[in-house]
Amino acid sequence: MKGLLEYTEGNTFIHRMNPLVKLLLALCVCAAAFASDSLAFLAALLAIDLALGAAGGVFGKALRLLAGLLKAGLLLFVLQLLFFREGRPLFLFVTDEGALTAAKLALRFIAACMPLALMLGLTRTGDLTNALVKTAHVPYKYAFTLSAAIRFIPLFMSEMEGVMEAQASRGVDFDGGPLKKIRLALPLCVPLLMISVRKIDGSAVAAEARGFNLRGRASGYKDYPLGTADLPAAALCAALVALGIIT
Amino acid sequence: MISVKDLTFVYEGARKAALSGVSMEIRQGGFVGVIGPSGAGKTTLLSCMNGIIPHHFKGDYYGSVKICGKDTFDCSLTELSLVAGTVFQDVDGMLINATVEDEVLYGLENFGLPKAEIAARLEEVLEEVGIAGLRRRSISTLSGGQKQKVAIAAVLALRPQILLLDEPTGELDPASSRLVFSLLKRLNRERGITVVAVEQKIMLLSEFASELAVMSEGRLEFFGPVREVLRHSEELEKIGVNCPRVVALSRELEKRGLTAGTLCVSVDEAEAEVRRVLEG
Ligand SMILES: Nc1ncnc2c1ncn2[C@@H]1O[C@H](COP(=O)(O)OP(=O)(O)O)[C@@H](O)[C@H]1O
Ligand SMILES: [Mg+2]
Repeated sequence: MKGLLEYTEGNTFIHRMNPLVKLLLALCVCAAAFASDSLAFLAALLAIDLALGAAGGVFGKALRLLAGLLKAGLLLFVLQLLFFREGRPLFLFVTDEGALTAAKLALRFIAACMPLALMLGLTRTGDLTNALVKTAHVPYKYAFTLSAAIRFIPLFMSEMEGVMEAQASRGVDFDGGPLKKIRLALPLCVPLLMISVRKIDGSAVAAEARGFNLRGRASGYKDYPLGTADLPAAALCAALVALGIIT
Repeated sequence: MISVKDLTFVYEGARKAALSGVSMEIRQGGFVGVIGPSGAGKTTLLSCMNGIIPHHFKGDYYGSVKICGKDTFDCSLTELSLVAGTVFQDVDGMLINATVEDEVLYGLENFGLPKAEIAARLEEVLEEVGIAGLRRRSISTLSGGQKQKVAIAAVLALRPQILLLDEPTGELDPASSRLVFSLLKRLNRERGITVVAVEQKIMLLSEFASELAVMSEGRLEFFGPVREVLRHSEELEKIGVNCPRVVALSRELEKRGLTAGTLCVSVDEAEAEVRRVLEG
């Protein structure tokens, strides 16, 4: 999962799109996934995600992301199968309606997570924050909190990796099934969370020492005008949400 | 410029004072090197100068710190940030943007400078610190030393009157360390910027700083012009601060009565001195 949520430098039209439009697009794909009840449409959303990833020059990353989400989706799928009791039984505890609902749930989950993760990979957090402040008039404090939260994820993961490497070098065997991995990693979560929170706290002070509180709406260096790709993207947003509600 | 009076600070929950009875007067345009073993209170001292203590870290605070005549207790961190820029020891925690360019822009944007000024300063500082080639790189892909340079550039760009640096060359190779200190010296000389730098490499301090502050266990053991402080080489060794080899050599020459009174702090000076002894 390492690096999957981090920004990938590039100069594709997706990179140059207005950060707010990208955010809107991601949220709309997400909303469409939640609104839709059709397997075909959900699959189509996934295809759109992959296509957007390819257009942003991060197709490989999008595939790895999909693989990671598929694992979580599979877990959801199995859980849903276990607990869904309506419909005709197919085999063991599986019913036909259960299988369909479970598949939709898993697909919906993947289709909703993908666009947000891709958006983060193709938008600089700084641009997103600045655009939110300058164009969407979000108070800087909230925009900064959002960007800190986004930064928190890779930070947490790299701390986790560091501690696991340190443990492995002292003889703890992390190889083996996912269950074993989770069992070994779980007790590390609290100290890791504390380390990460302390780090974020430290960077909040560092930000204050560089004039955090002076920031106003006018003080951004870059402007975020709407480009040629932005209008079609906004139209796509509307279309997707509409289709999601219909299907 | 910076006036510290009888400063004692105990972190909340700690049993021992991190600083006890520290007093020092740093004039405008001074270049002070702070040295001492780890845990001596160097970082704590800088935190008191930039206002992080008492505004962020709580604890028992006695004495006073005045920056440009104003007590740090009475100014907010933001007010202080306009005067004093800090390069923190924890560089990773200090870098809060995704790319090098954004990181340097960050403070400039906060300060609300005009666009043309921001562009000019960005170019200039990237050039000065020697990271123009890293401009579009993602911070997470940089080495420790490169990150340190970015942190330094981000603070220099703000052109503070006072520069506080906490082990800014900790992860830099010798050549880059010298580059950073020559740059600091130049800013100090040309723009009259007051520099306070915590640094473990005594050779860098003896060459570039004008005053030396030696700390040990929360106390300021020595504070004065570099040459005068280095005279106490035996006491410094006891504290755990090794003097530069040229100082040892120069002291040895003096002890044997070959030279009188001039302590050499750089290789060039020592070379001249040794030549004089050999010829005379
Ligand atoms: N946030 C903190 N909370 C409690 N104690 C601290 C904190 N930071 C530093 N100390 C303690 O204060 C003393 C001085 O630390 P510090 O100023 O970081 O030393 P130096 O920078 O010289 O290595 C040490 O004993 C350290 O353990
Ligand atoms: Mg320190």
